[in-house]
Amino acid sequence: MLFLRRTLPLIIAFAVGLIGILVFYIPHSGAQSLEYELTKWDRIVAAFALALGIYSLMRLHWGRVRRQQAGWAYSFLVFVGFTVMFIFAIYNDGHGPFNPQVADSGPFVWMFNNVQVPADATMFSILAFFIASAAYRTFRARTPEAAILLVSAIIVMIGRVPIGGLISDSIPELSQWLMAVPNLAAKRGILLGVSLGIVATSLRIIFGIERSYLGGGEE
Amino acid sequence: MKEFLLNIDRRIIFIFVALGVIIPALTSFNLPINPTPNVQSIYDTIEEVGKENGTVLISFDYGPGSMPEVQPMALSVLRHCFKRNVKVVGMCLWPQGVGLAQQAFDTTSKELDAEYGSDYVFLGFKTGFQSVVVSMGHDFHGTFPQDLPGNNTTELPVTKNIKGLADFDYVLCLAAGNTPDGIWIPFGQERYKFKFGLGCTAVMAPDQFPYLQSGQMNGMMGGLAGAAEYETLVQASGTATEGMRPQSVVHLIIIFFIILGNVMYFLYGRPKGGTQ
Repeated sequence: MLFLRRTLPLIIAFAVGLIGILVFYIPHSGAQSLEYELTKWDRIVAAFALALGIYSLMRLHWGRVRRQQAGWAYSFLVFVGFTVMFIFAIYNDGHGPFNPQVADSGPFVWMFNNVQVPADATMFSILAFFIASAAYRTFRARTPEAAILLVSAIIVMIGRVPIGGLISDSIPELSQWLMAVPNLAAKRGILLGVSLGIVATSLRIIFGIERSYLGGGEE
Repeated sequence: MKEFLLNIDRRIIFIFVALGVIIPALTSFNLPINPTPNVQSIYDTIEEVGKENGTVLISFDYGPGSMPEVQPMALSVLRHCFKRNVKVVGMCLWPQGVGLAQQAFDTTSKELDAEYGSDYVFLGFKTGFQSVVVSMGHDFHGTFPQDLPGNNTTELPVTKNIKGLADFDYVLCLAAGNTPDGIWIPFGQERYKFKFGLGCTAVMAPDQFPYLQSGQMNGMMGGLAGAAEYETLVQASGTATEGMRPQSVVHLIIIFFIILGNVMYFLYGRPKGGTQ
């Protein structure tokens, strides 16, 4: 069992990880064919992962409904929403599950356009209110660095809307400079650091040093 | 009064923001919208592609939450493409993008008499993110043997001559997540060397500037302002241009509250009694 639970996944991660890196850099037709084949496998695995994700989500919410935890009614709504959309997706506007998806008519499209779109857009638009309140409470020039950030933010906020150009032509230009020079420099530094971290973590996974993805079960 | 200004109830701020959105949305005053070089660059590239009767790939990688910002970009770019006889291939790396892309294609194709199959094709969603992009680079027809309605991509006029990603004259990603810098650039543009542009939410835009400077991305529309700039360029005023009025006013309201908060902070110090 230990072989199946730990050794085999480590062997698969090592082999697939190493092959995945090598074929990316080898332009030989054989390596390229292998890479194309691997992308097919990856997409199949991703589709199964989607099914696993649905199972995990349902299990979590079923537990909440069963125990009648606080807010369990919202968990119940997850089942209602999932079941309704699943039935409409299978129905496929009368064409059934084995025909191409109908994307311009039918109850599935109606539900998407009239429930999910307005609900999601509403959730996102609420951010504007909270950002305004949070900016008033927390955006304070307590230190010289915070003062620089504050002034930069105000210039970018005015410069990114047409009213900035009405006040002065130099505000949009200054806003663009802030984004394209100091912002870029900081972002590139962060990006390089993050990328090196990703490379290091990937190598740790490939060589079996990092094993947290195997889960925390008993060995 | 001092305590009130030091710790304004958040509901009062909410009322100001709501009025800042509602009043400008109901009134009609025009603000000058000047396209920035990053947006102009996307427009110019599509003009060039139009002169060669080329093909553009648009990846609709966003969902309803970012629809107000990104959908106007999709509509403007599609209008521009159809006006210039640029062939369009649409696809999604996000499943929620399918419905929104379909809406955008339906709206613009009816407006400009674009015909499915010969002017545009919609491939729908395919799971796998970077695997889809790498796979498309190797073999386009193998990755998408059929479009969303079930036609063979080897037979459709728009897609029959596309062998891989390098055959597209321009790839435009409309995104609300990490698909441009996490997928399209490292696994697509960097390997297959196609011209790449981006339309993204305002919150994503600062992260993308390194790719603009490196030339991996030749243009970017950032947020509602970027969408409004593109609407100005294609001379088709839409929701983004209209949205500039409330957005301008709300930005001024937020700046006013930030300045007020700082003035009170320096005059009287930290507020007592915490936040509400």
